Amino acid sequence: MSDATAGGTGTQSWDALARAAGTKPAPRAELRRELLLLGIGDDLYALPVERVREIVRSRDLTPLPRVPAAVRGVISLRGEVLQVIDLRRRLGLPEGSGLAPRRQRIVVLHTAEAQLAGLWVDRVSQVMRVLESQMISPNTGQGELVEALCPLDERFVSLLDVDRLLDLDQE
Amino acid sequence: MAARRKAPRARTKAAREFVSEVEEILERLRSDLADLADERARGALDPERTNRLFRSAHTLKGLSGMFGLDEVTQLAHHLEDILDGLRLGRLGPDAPALDLLDESVEWIASLLTQLGEAGALDAPPQGLQQLIDRIREKLEASPRPATSTSLAGLEESVLRALTEYEEHRLHENLRLGRCLLLVEQSFPMLAFEEGLAELTRAVRDAGEVISTLPAPGGSPEAEIRFSLLAASELDDPAARVRLEVPQAEVRVLREAAGGTPAAGASSAERSATPPPPSPAAPAELESLKSISDTVRVDIRKLDEVMNLVGELVIQRGALGALATRLRADPATARAGAELAGLHKHIDRKLQDLQAGVLEARMVPMRQVFEKLSRVVRRLRRDSGKEVKLEIRGGDTELDKLLVEELVDPLMHVVRNAFDHAIETPDERSAAGKPREGCIRLEAFQRGHHVVVRVSDDGRGIDTDAILARAIADGSVGTDAHLSRKEVLDLVFQPGLSTSAEVSATSGRGVGMDIVRENAAALGGSVGIESEPGAGTSISLTLPITLAIIQALAVRVGSQRFAVPLTSVLETLQISPAEIQHSQGRELLRLRGEPLWLRRVHAEFELPPPAPDANLAVVVVALGDARVGLLVDQLEEQQDAVIKPIQGPIGSVRGIAGATDLGARGTVLVMDVAALAEDTLRRREVA
Amino acid sequence: MHDVLIVEDSSTMRSLVVSSLEELGGDLKMTEAPSGFEALRLLPRRRFHLVVTDINMPDINGLELVSFIKGNPAYRDIPLLVISTEGSERDRTKALELGADAYLVKPFDPEALRIIARDLLDRAPRE
Repeated sequence: MSDATAGGTGTQSWDALARAAGTKPAPRAELRRELLLLGIGDDLYALPVERVREIVRSRDLTPLPRVPAAVRGVISLRGEVLQVIDLRRRLGLPEGSGLAPRRQRIVVLHTAEAQLAGLWVDRVSQVMRVLESQMISPNTGQGELVEALCPLDERFVSLLDVDRLLDLDQE
Repeated sequence: MAARRKAPRARTKAAREFVSEVEEILERLRSDLADLADERARGALDPERTNRLFRSAHTLKGLSGMFGLDEVTQLAHHLEDILDGLRLGRLGPDAPALDLLDESVEWIASLLTQLGEAGALDAPPQGLQQLIDRIREKLEASPRPATSTSLAGLEESVLRALTEYEEHRLHENLRLGRCLLLVEQSFPMLAFEEGLAELTRAVRDAGEVISTLPAPGGSPEAEIRFSLLAASELDDPAARVRLEVPQAEVRVLREAAGGTPAAGASSAERSATPPPPSPAAPAELESLKSISDTVRVDIRKLDEVMNLVGELVIQRGALGALATRLRADPATARAGAELAGLHKHIDRKLQDLQAGVLEARMVPMRQVFEKLSRVVRRLRRDSGKEVKLEIRGGDTELDKLLVEELVDPLMHVVRNAFDHAIETPDERSAAGKPREGCIRLEAFQRGHHVVVRVSDDGRGIDTDAILARAIADGSVGTDAHLSRKEVLDLVFQPGLSTSAEVSATSGRGVGMDIVRENAAALGGSVGIESEPGAGTSISLTLPITLAIIQALAVRVGSQRFAVPLTSVLETLQISPAEIQHSQGRELLRLRGEPLWLRRVHAEFELPPPAPDANLAVVVVALGDARVGLLVDQLEEQQDAVIKPIQGPIGSVRGIAGATDLGARGTVLVMDVAALAEDTLRRREVA
Repeated sequence: MHDVLIVEDSSTMRSLVVSSLEELGGDLKMTEAPSGFEALRLLPRRRFHLVVTDINMPDINGLELVSFIKGNPAYRDIPLLVISTEGSERDRTKALELGADAYLVKPFDPEALRIIARDLLDRAPRE
């Protein structure tokens, strides 16, 4: 095996490996995910509920200069100021028409750096529960922004990868 | 034992971290040992401290083992054994034990230094073996006390995840007849820190927290439940905890047993020598006094209060405006006058409140300076340069949050000074300077600002080299004529940061541009002065009050911006005809001097004003230079709270943050220093 | 891509674990947590395929973390490797009883860490 070094722990770690290998493989628990459904045009997208802090009505944004087009601006939420990203633009979809502004919402998310960011969407629907085993890996389509496809009735809901969504350096 | 081992070279990241972590551990050991000696005189040992001492030695042992430093590992192992004996009550903190501890720590430090310098130990150092023998003797002489307490009746779930040390604490508390509690509370999985901190605090106020066990909450993905096992000397600790945290579930696992600890039992809690009678009493009195003089407040509670005060301040502005409007209308003039009087009264009280809360948040700069001292010591050791550090004004106070924000930029500035400014001792002698270089850290108050300055007596900034580099990378035109001040200012450009090589002691690549951004985000500015051959000084000027600033609202296109008033020298109204041109840049003649101009709408890609419309100029300072920012209109002055902008886009050049200006919505705050800087560098009109 | 969570209060040890695992290549993303608390904060925010934790940490120690992870249906499938110190037999036994999948003793051979980590990652549920 490997040469003994300062500690000479080779044997011990093999023991552990052997012991671990001997136990039966853990049964894959059926993980349920809770997803927040939202809509852009006629399409449905989803976000993992644990990344969502709250949902607020769309409001006047203060535009930010010198930012990618996907960043609509900033809003103030109970004293905190956060950037709002237009999901439609971020996904590279054409501008919509005939939208119902009353239904537009800003979904406030937790970013990977423990900050907040807002996502501007056409409408927010319900929370959906889906089993891990039902989720399908997307092979093409939006590419990396969509993490999985979840069946709902006759259609698919695209589960978004929040960290990639908020990573705007890839522009 | 005397195998040759090579010390880690500072090549790998881990090796560098080892060196710096070990230095921290040694400092912690020394400091805790010093406190331990004090405690011994007073008779009672703080279990947290003895545990911390143990863990320091334990970590040291593990780390030196990973790097193959046998002698250090062995000594650390013995050090750990003594400390284990101490924390488990097998050893008393008598003088010989403390001596062994002190000696061991110094031996370890010296071994590490030797290994660092020579790369290897040729032979077992003199005296090491004797020290180890003495330690062995001491350990063998100490008996292991029998565990007389029983854990019967305590649930398995409580005991399952206790480490050996925690079990010891449990036994110890039971032996002393203390009450044993289990305090449990559930929190949302995504946001448990504050709630848990509050719960832990409440339990700590009542006694000692032996262990903190997390478990899945009711809904395993969304909730987490913490069970705190605690011991207390109080009469009714359960009631006390319930009072402070009503949502927690508190269960008494064992009632207190009579209260007086078993006499004659040997334990680390009682010192081996009887405590001297009279000094103990004044020491006790002193500690009681210090409890009553201060109240520990979580900085977050202060932040909340600050926020509330900030919002009140903004609403007060609206109230004043309302009073004025009412007075102007004859129908409501009398009510308006009354309102104005009330407003004035509230205003005064609010100012006092503001001042009071701000004072509560003030901490001395000394904390930062101490951190920086450690950095300098480390740099000194790694580089071999002889540098002394002078510190002045450690008592100068700043808002705690500001102080915390300052550490990184100051650290960077100090590193820069060390790496690039201070010459080697030989170079300095040749230049007629003392061999030892000097870096000075100063802080002093100037009006409503605090100035924090890092200066050195090194080689000064080579303005020619900086200018040449700026011309080479195109940020400055070849025919540019920049004053010395303007060239010095180039130091703050991104990309022009002074070191291309990454040496073990240079900063993490944070350039001076970020230092300026940090200062701007805090509502302040950075200035630089330098004399070739004599030295350089970098000054951060910060407003004392972080949270609330006076801002001037301006309009550019259809958008409003806020300009921190502290940055504004004066404002002017001009007509476009007054604008002159030189080499494609716009300027104004202001009292005989040129004032270079910058159109803010161009900066932020906003629609331009009508060509014949009058404009407003906001004159700002950048070091000694002045720049005029052209906006469409000036609006009113307001109190504002600058908030950082959260989100995926890191920072936007020219924007320092955003502020709530009462009911008017979120307004972006301009980073005037950045805008001014861009103006001075720019060659053509956008 | 495999996401590895490394829980260890010593920055040097963290660096050593990270640099050892980096040599495994593949698509490994390392996340470092300097305390049990930080690990608890990170667990719900990302899907991890391996957790490597020290035992001796202040506040929430490694045993408590193992107890939480293996006792929680949401995380119990995540392979868990515990790093303990020579001489702490009891702690090691407890870790295994609480459900840890494997252990390593400090000071350890980086190659041993890689072998065990590779094995545990290969057994992780599909991602």
